[in-house]
Amino acid sequence: MVRFDRVSKRYPSGNEALSGVSFELARGEMAFLTGHSGAGKSTLLKLMMRMEVPTRGEVVVDGSNLSRLREGLVPYHRRKVGVVFQNHQLLFDRSVFDNVALPLLISGTSLKETGRRVRAALDKVGLLGKEKLNPIQLSGGEQQRIGIARAVVNKPALLIADEPTGNLDPELSADIMNLFSQFQQVGVTVLIATHDIALVERMNKRRLILQNGQMIAGHDLSTGAAYV
Amino acid sequence: MSEKTTNQQGASAATLGAGEKFTAYFRNHQMVAVESLAKLLATPLSSLLTWLVIAIALTLPGALYMAVNNLQQLSGHFEASGQMTVFLATDIREADSSALRLKVGSLDQVNKVVYVSPEQALEEFKEYGGIADALSFLDENPLPAVLLVEPPLGIDKDELNVLVAQIKSFKHVDSVQVDMAWVERLLALLALAQRLVGVVGVLLALAIVLVVGNTIRLAIAARMDEIRVIKLVGGTNAYVRRPFLYSGFWYGAIGGILAWLMLGICWILLQGPVADIAALYGADFYLQPLPFAPTCWLILSASVLGLIGSWWSVQRHLVAIEP
Repeated sequence: MVRFDRVSKRYPSGNEALSGVSFELARGEMAFLTGHSGAGKSTLLKLMMRMEVPTRGEVVVDGSNLSRLREGLVPYHRRKVGVVFQNHQLLFDRSVFDNVALPLLISGTSLKETGRRVRAALDKVGLLGKEKLNPIQLSGGEQQRIGIARAVVNKPALLIADEPTGNLDPELSADIMNLFSQFQQVGVTVLIATHDIALVERMNKRRLILQNGQMIAGHDLSTGAAYV
Repeated sequence: MSEKTTNQQGASAATLGAGEKFTAYFRNHQMVAVESLAKLLATPLSSLLTWLVIAIALTLPGALYMAVNNLQQLSGHFEASGQMTVFLATDIREADSSALRLKVGSLDQVNKVVYVSPEQALEEFKEYGGIADALSFLDENPLPAVLLVEPPLGIDKDELNVLVAQIKSFKHVDSVQVDMAWVERLLALLALAQRLVGVVGVLLALAIVLVVGNTIRLAIAARMDEIRVIKLVGGTNAYVRRPFLYSGFWYGAIGGILAWLMLGICWILLQGPVADIAALYGADFYLQPLPFAPTCWLILSASVLGLIGSWWSVQRHLVAIEP
């Protein structure tokens, strides 16, 4: 599903965020991406979204080489990837329903189908009753769930999350992580960047570890180092 | 998402057929058109300000155009006539003047000759208030006898010049004044005014593009977060651009309609005074409103200018916003 082949990313400032990173994620796999802050986690996720282009190497997501993707096709690539952010990136000028419906609106789904799917997604994250509220009226944990509902409403094959539990207490964090593993159970490939080591250890999933832009563990499935 | 089967169909379920895409595309246009108008109406005061600026910028060249258009119609009445006034020598005798009248009247290129004696001229003059008092100070009538000569309609300039030279050569003729001259001057002035309408129009069109461009720039800045999120979840540049282009269109179109209303109000206000002036000159003339075709052009070009302004702004600022 995802393949990084000796990927390096150097920013114009000269800072090398990633150097020679290679790994693969199989379809339907769930993995965690950990490392100290500044290790390159966000850059790695941005490369998968084609928000950044690698300086060297190749990033292949769902069969398409992102370095060779035409600019005009980037939006269509992003529609195949659900993404969740630490700061959830919700729009406070519209209701919960409209926030979740945004990807469907963009892809031109019919209104009837949109209503059905938005409610299914909200049901999945346990917020079905709050579709008419403004996200600002909800708690941090609930806002994060809306972000997740928006990420999965388009039924993406790949779901990536950048510190999705960054602002939440441990109990809520565990809930969110369970939610992600439920998506994995129905066949979605999931990659979560987090620094919450305790939580990752409890989940018992494959773990990719970045340090100063290099992948020091988890990149090779066969060594068994994948599971920590 | 609740069953494994539905998820495996996920990728295909998310892609639409060509027909569906087409419908979705038009539905999106329709929705964005209505929503962008609703957004402008949701902030009525600031939108109204922009609309008024556009309307005033359009009313100026519009009013000039209307004025030129009316003067052109007015000059049209005279253009073809070429009537001339022949002033006779003051010392001419009665018999000579009637002979001269017959002589001029017998010319091929003369349709009609009217003799106005100095006494008649004085009487006409006295009808104008104020002048009569001034005239009473004069011992004798200073006005010469006059022949009003009317050549056939549609006489061309060369023929007219020949005719003028011919009449000038007659004895007892003091001078010949062709009323054509002021018509020509008027036409030259009208050509100048037309050019002025063009220049002012282009400058103010540029102003409209800049005003709409700036308004859209502010709108983009205010919706930065939304644009970022839309781009993140796979919105194309065209999708992001669309609401702003429609806003620009609405700014222009409604500004154009307001300009048309303003021109209408100008017309209503000026119609009375113009009719009064026309009556004073004994002319059968009334102020024409802006005709239908130019009205359509006004509103259409306003809409296009709005679109151009927003396009320009969107191209400059939207590309810079990347998630």
